[in-house]
Amino acid sequence: MTFERYWMFAAVCVFVALFLVRMVVAEQLSLQASLSFLVLLVLGATVALFPGVTSWLAYRMGFTLPSNFFFSVLIAALGFLHLSALVHLSRVQQRSVTLTQELALLQEKVDRAMRAIEKTSAAGRS
Amino acid sequence: MRVLVVVPAFNEQAALPAVVAEIRNERQRLGIDIDVAVVDDGSTDHTSEVAYSCGARVLRLCRNLGIGGAVQVGLRAALREGYDCAIQLDGDGQHPASEITKLIGALSQSPAPDLIVGTRYRTRDGFRSTALRRLGGTWLRVLLRVVAGLRVTDPTSGFRLYGHRALKLFDQTYPYDYPEPEALAIASAAHLRVAEVPVQMRERQHGRSSISGIAAPYYMLKTTLAVVLSYVRNRRRAVDGEGK
Repeated sequence: MTFERYWMFAAVCVFVALFLVRMVVAEQLSLQASLSFLVLLVLGATVALFPGVTSWLAYRMGFTLPSNFFFSVLIAALGFLHLSALVHLSRVQQRSVTLTQELALLQEKVDRAMRAIEKTSAAGRS
Repeated sequence: MRVLVVVPAFNEQAALPAVVAEIRNERQRLGIDIDVAVVDDGSTDHTSEVAYSCGARVLRLCRNLGIGGAVQVGLRAALREGYDCAIQLDGDGQHPASEITKLIGALSQSPAPDLIVGTRYRTRDGFRSTALRRLGGTWLRVLLRVVAGLRVTDPTSGFRLYGHRALKLFDQTYPYDYPEPEALAIASAAHLRVAEVPVQMRERQHGRSSISGIAAPYYMLKTTLAVVLSYVRNRRRAVDGEGK
């Protein structure tokens, strides 16, 4: 049994992966954040170049068509990536709120200290 | 007794001078050590400058966090600086400072409450909000009664006194948007003693409510979910080792 290789899909995966790497190099995206997406793209390219593996796995797991298996896995993977991004975003938001509050508390302390110093020096001059 | 009055304010430069002056008058009348901290929630007007020129302490948030984030930073300041309690009072002039004495007076109950809510629904006087808002308030009242076992008549009131245990609890966790009913659920879950005292309120003197139009159904849905989830999440939170 021979399988057609999906060069176009593999090329798209590689192109998107290269685009992500470029963003990492330009420090628009952290490597940690992009790593799971890069792994997904590499897997996508592998599946496109070796479709026999997908078919074998699909039939083993009870899927009638390899394409159904492929899309199911892809949807699950993207859902997982989205959920992990939401978790990360929530943590960042929480930290941002805490930092904003701490900054306000510190700023007020600094302002009060500066005013006290100004008062003292003004009293010293007079 | 040292009290910090926390005044969350977003673009309230017009209302603030009267609010701060009222609190300062009350300090002189009661003879209690009351400080005023205006929390400028990322205002785009001159709220901070006006508050400072009125003699208040100013906690300036570099971005808008919403009412919950603004109140929490004031409560944190009160806890860290060793105040005996903090009073939340809106910066739009809805809460007359003359009613502060009723909140402080409720501290003499035995045992002393940890969180005292000023309610506008126990008396027939004063501003009582619109019919639609009262309907929403009724739903939240029933929800808090059923979910958290808490009897309050005015769950959306932002005129509150926080005792030491409440300050400790809300230093750890405080809801951010539309926080009042959710904060009550958290307090109940953490076994704080919650009390209510009747107070008079006024219509806001300046500005407009953030809960209007399309925000109203979102508020009800979000608050309903938040009350249930906050209660469940905070049931195991221990305050002074009294958590479940």
